[in-house]
Amino acid sequence: MSHVDDGILHSYLDGELSAAEAREVDAHVAHCPDCRRRLDEERALIARAAELLAVATPPDRALPPFRAGDVKAPTRLWWQVRLPLAWAATVALALGIGTYLGRDVQRAPEAEAARSTAATPSPTRAESPKQELARRETRVAAPGAARTPPAAPLGPPQPRARVDNIALPPPEPVRSADTAAAGVADRVRLEERAARIALRKESGDERSQWQKGDAISIDSARRVLGTDPLVVPGVPIEALYRGRAIGYADVVIVEQALDATTMIEVINARTAPQLLDQVVVASAPAARPELARAADSLAAVAKRPAPLAAKAAGQVRPDLFRDVRGPLSADSLAALRRRLQPLRAATGP
Amino acid sequence: MPQDLAEIYRTTYRALVRFLYRKVWDAARAEDLAQEAFARAVVHKPDNARGWLFIVAANMARDDARRAARERRHLTLLKAEPQSEPATDDAVHAETERTQVRAALEQLTPRDREVLLLWDSGLSYDEIAAQTGLARGAIGTTLARARRRLVEAYEAGRSGEHVARG
Repeated sequence: MSHVDDGILHSYLDGELSAAEAREVDAHVAHCPDCRRRLDEERALIARAAELLAVATPPDRALPPFRAGDVKAPTRLWWQVRLPLAWAATVALALGIGTYLGRDVQRAPEAEAARSTAATPSPTRAESPKQELARRETRVAAPGAARTPPAAPLGPPQPRARVDNIALPPPEPVRSADTAAAGVADRVRLEERAARIALRKESGDERSQWQKGDAISIDSARRVLGTDPLVVPGVPIEALYRGRAIGYADVVIVEQALDATTMIEVINARTAPQLLDQVVVASAPAARPELARAADSLAAVAKRPAPLAAKAAGQVRPDLFRDVRGPLSADSLAALRRRLQPLRAATGP
Repeated sequence: MPQDLAEIYRTTYRALVRFLYRKVWDAARAEDLAQEAFARAVVHKPDNARGWLFIVAANMARDDARRAARERRHLTLLKAEPQSEPATDDAVHAETERTQVRAALEQLTPRDREVLLLWDSGLSYDEIAAQTGLARGAIGTTLARARRRLVEAYEAGRSGEHVARG
């Protein structure tokens, strides 16, 4: 039998021979002292070579995380890229530009009309405060118009100027100037506090803050609060609930359906230590609003003058404060808040 | 990174760095190249990722060596002598040994060296054969020759140095 060559010996020592080949080597080495000696030499050689290679090794470091930032996608110049729907993109772009330009053409006469309207003196401004008040009350009380008014604030935010116009308080006929000022200062302070509370609630779980208990009647709600609960007039009341919340003594939650899918909750609460009524409008099925948006609406709260409708009803104490939160736009929530009225005034006697 | 590639990264990354280090002789550079090889594997999704990685690494190291050689030529024009930081005896000794192994490795034929480095990186005879285009049966013989030459060249270098010193 021929001797085993170096290649076979190394393959054997590297464990790269098949089982049959390895048996042949074993058999030969068993009765061939030369090959046995060579086998030992080659084993030592392999060990020595591995040892030397180990010297030529970089410092052993922990496995670094894969640096995904190094990924360089195979670069393709843009004109080499074949987009299967490039033609579609071209058509879409052309249509888009056309629509954009066409809209401006259509808008021009509308803008013209708007300018001429603005030029005529506004009837609202010409009215005396009293007349305006009366007009407002009839609109609020009219059951037929019930569903229409809330739709407006829920739409896209109204132009700021118009909102301010609506909220403009009439001259205070009864109170003297300084008591009114004190009232405003009180309110501002309360509203600031409300803002802080609302912000705290935003960061916590807003939904668990107000826990709905048993359904109650309007009369029980009045008994609980000691006054009429505030509601958004003209929006169908689904139900009233006794509520619970940490830090509040008496809570009444009025569920009102803005439309088929949007339920708002008007929360009437009296804080435990100060016995202040607190009214919070929150949207029931909605996700938590962005903090930024909340801050927005809170800023609106601080700037907002006293609500006209509430004063007209004569039943809302000036120490009430309102806080609007929810997924609706800040303007919409502020508008809803401004509309809050005592239940009796809102629904009529 | 896909699951299988992540697993290969875990098991093969160090071997790839070692493989590259013995070509570029710079640990940081070897790691960079290894990372880039994996990054390319993520993009190309090769079937045999492990073998593919070593092919790519070998190519990158070759390109890198060419570039380094070019830069060295420029550098030698700029500054006469490279700055070297003072080192401890151990570090000097380790560095000397490394230089000697490097010199020994560079005396092998490119094919012998490649087969040896691939084997030392943990590739099987089958993988090395696929990588280098050698017949599987030739791998053992090539490895035997490469190992012998490496050890001989190293010993020759050392004795030569001793002679020079003595």
